[in-house]
Amino acid sequence: MPMPNTSAPVSPAGTLPMLILRVLQSGELHGYAIAQRIHLLSSEALAVEEGLLYPTLQKMLVKGWVTANWGISETNRKVRLYRLTTSGRKQLAAEVSEYERLDSAIREILRAS
Amino acid sequence: MGELFRRIRYLMNWRRLDAELAEEMEFHREMAARTGCNNFGNTLRLREQAFEAWGWTWLDRLLQDLRYGVRMWARAPGFTLMALLVLAIGIGVNVSAFSFFDMVALKPLPVPEADRIVRLERRSPYNYTSEMAYPSFLFYREHAKTLSATMAILGVPPFQIDRDLQQTSASFVTANYFTELGTRAAYGRMFDPSIDDRADAPPAVVLSYGLWQRRFGGDPMLIGRVIDLNRKPATVVGITPFAFASLGGQHPDLWMPIAQQPYFIERSKVLQDWTNASVRMWGRLVPGISAKMTEQELRILTDELRRQHPDAVWDDEFIQRSPGGHLQVMQPEMYRVAAMVGVLTLLILTISCTNLGGLMMARAFIREHEIGIRVAIGAGRARIFRQLCTESLLLAAMGSLAGLALAWVAMRVLLTKADAPKWLSVSPDWRVMSFTVGMTAGATLLFGLAPALQFARHRQRKTIARQILVGTQIAASSVLLIVAALLLRATQHVLYTDPGFGYEQLVSIDPQLGHHDYTPEAARTYLDQMQSRLRSVPGVSSVSLVKLPPLGHVVSREDRQIDGRTVRLYPNWVAPDFFGTMGIPLRLGRTFYSGEKHAVIVSESFARQQWPGQNPLGKQLGDGASKDTVIGVAGDARINALSDDDATEQYWAAQQDDMRDMVLIVRSAGEPESLSPTVKTISQNLDASVFPEIRQLKLLYRDEVEQIELVATIVSLVGMVAVALSCVGIVGLVTFAVTQRTKEIAIRIALGAKRAAVLSTVLGQFCWPVAVGLTAGTALAAFGSKLLRVALYGVNNLDLASYVAGIAVLAILVSLSLLIPAARVLRLNLATILHYD
Repeated sequence: MPMPNTSAPVSPAGTLPMLILRVLQSGELHGYAIAQRIHLLSSEALAVEEGLLYPTLQKMLVKGWVTANWGISETNRKVRLYRLTTSGRKQLAAEVSEYERLDSAIREILRAS
Repeated sequence: MGELFRRIRYLMNWRRLDAELAEEMEFHREMAARTGCNNFGNTLRLREQAFEAWGWTWLDRLLQDLRYGVRMWARAPGFTLMALLVLAIGIGVNVSAFSFFDMVALKPLPVPEADRIVRLERRSPYNYTSEMAYPSFLFYREHAKTLSATMAILGVPPFQIDRDLQQTSASFVTANYFTELGTRAAYGRMFDPSIDDRADAPPAVVLSYGLWQRRFGGDPMLIGRVIDLNRKPATVVGITPFAFASLGGQHPDLWMPIAQQPYFIERSKVLQDWTNASVRMWGRLVPGISAKMTEQELRILTDELRRQHPDAVWDDEFIQRSPGGHLQVMQPEMYRVAAMVGVLTLLILTISCTNLGGLMMARAFIREHEIGIRVAIGAGRARIFRQLCTESLLLAAMGSLAGLALAWVAMRVLLTKADAPKWLSVSPDWRVMSFTVGMTAGATLLFGLAPALQFARHRQRKTIARQILVGTQIAASSVLLIVAALLLRATQHVLYTDPGFGYEQLVSIDPQLGHHDYTPEAARTYLDQMQSRLRSVPGVSSVSLVKLPPLGHVVSREDRQIDGRTVRLYPNWVAPDFFGTMGIPLRLGRTFYSGEKHAVIVSESFARQQWPGQNPLGKQLGDGASKDTVIGVAGDARINALSDDDATEQYWAAQQDDMRDMVLIVRSAGEPESLSPTVKTISQNLDASVFPEIRQLKLLYRDEVEQIELVATIVSLVGMVAVALSCVGIVGLVTFAVTQRTKEIAIRIALGAKRAAVLSTVLGQFCWPVAVGLTAGTALAAFGSKLLRVALYGVNNLDLASYVAGIAVLAILVSLSLLIPAARVLRLNLATILHYD
């Protein structure tokens, strides 16, 4: 199996769906753009590996958080664009609040010790 | 639900979506390459993961396994065919039996809301009758709030149409009978409650489709024409449809409104008589009312009826409700028989499956190599297990299909042979289908699980498994053979032994005087005249009277406990010369004087059970005021319970009050057939409005015997098939055991072992299972056949000859199937075998 080509760390376990939902909030994107957007928004701190991205996207399709439609990319190619659904928005809100709760809890522990 | 829907939609569009995903990843790879990143994961693996994400992997695997299974079975066509045959028999027998049960007791009648139709019968802890008095029926009809409708059928002796020689079956029904069943006339109209429910309505008759075709050539102009029924003119108003579904399997050829019964049967007071049980009652539950509520309401009504008419209701009587919307109303005894048949057919399935299990194990030996390779290249134990189960399931499914076809053929033959109602169809319904699916699963578990587990665990304890297989087969076969032997004995018994009375020369003549409003005195006069005229007919050797004639329509029975054993008691009321006419010997004492009171004659077996080792003469019977003295002991004569070995009889002298219900019994010296015209003439001269029913006991008896013969034939056939299966299975197992050890045996012999000793070591492993199987099977048969007693026609269910015969046949066949393949050991060519490697 090929190793990840970048030294940038992958996103913390289980947060990838949340990140994808977050970058899709501003509009529909194709798979590559999702990976790029996450990479850029994290100031190149996070890299999304395609080996994780596509299975995650499929799982999100199963759950109905996103839908996929064919569109034309900025390079004028036929691409599949992922779009947030209503239940996807709800899921995003839920995951963000859950993450924040967890994050503050972890910070509490770190500060105490 | 949304998620399932999305999953299914994905599956439907899987090919397109998969291609799209590939394309999408290709795009991703190209874009990434531009930014100098040439490293993209395994796209094929990613696509597989996507498929997994949608949760359809199991389906893919299943298809894979199925494809593999089909290839495996196709590669060994001989084995597959053999396995299919074995399974088809095992499953087919079960599906046939279930289809029959389904047809009789589960399939709803094709009438509106068949599930709300109930059959209502009088029961008490001591008494049971299928019929009730018409006034009681009216009482329930008027007061029951939980029944939206009630129907009654009054069965009557056959009628004579115009001047026909042959009589035609007939029934009276309440005018709502056809409307409640939603019957549409093939021609004309059915009865209409607003027209036909009055006694003074114009006499109407509805003909069955069959009669209309046979007797009237299907003439549509028949509607509106007047025909004579026992010399009473009646207008034909309609024809029942071809596929008419009637209640309780009642399909007479003539239907008349019950309100007009007094017109057709002159001077009959049946409709007013509170003590004459004459009609069968059916009801339709009000929607939303449970059957329990109806039972409770009827219980209250019965108590009310008892207050008003104490003579019309028994002590502790209640109305028993059973589901009525099926071909047959199932009585508890019938469920017992059904359960027994079920056990027998399941035994056959067990034999087939253990048999197949043996075949599979032999095959497993051959496949060890293949499976070994698959494990070596990375197949997990779970995967192998699943693969083997899929293969078995595939085989079982094919076997079930074949079994279903077999059952279809069997039902088809049965329906054509048995002249069944035309609405019945042979095509399996959802119940039969789900039963077959269940059978498939059960069979797979039985024959496939053990080998699959063995493989998956990779631990092979073949000897034990083989011993269990042999033991089970022998046990199941011995049960089947013993039961078959018992039934064959029963047939023989019926055919070649005396039922206790000489039926060949007997004719019963039932004038049904009670239905013609005869007073007891008038009835006595009629019967006396009839008797004296019959006696003067040449060819009549003896004439007598009996209340419940042999093989009659009505059976009366009491269950009594004697020393903790239930004795079935059949009471009867007879004239003094009854025993002589019937040919029932008097063992002790004397017969009655005419009209003798407080005297009873009991049957031999009753005396034996009630007063073992004592002289029964002079003993007292009964309780309270009505004590009767035993004046005689008659030979056992199961005149109304041919099949029941436990039946005992008690006779009382017929009293004046019984005269209206008495039936004449005539013993002819020559052919009893020739009596019919004479009897008809005599009865016409005595009273032209009375049409006695004349029945030859010989024919009735033959019908009874044919039934048991049929059952015995079927059971023996099935038993023989089962035994054949077992034997083939045992031959296979022994052959396999010998083949497996050929080299070892050859070496032993080469080293000087005696061939007989080698033979015994090979067969040794089978001796115990055979012995255990035989013992277990015999015990099971002895225990289970108790249920069979009522059907054994007087053969003891522990009848030694049957057991010995069954076991002997099995033992011989099993020994042969053990010895023949094992004998190969004796003919081994040592040089070739030892050279081979």
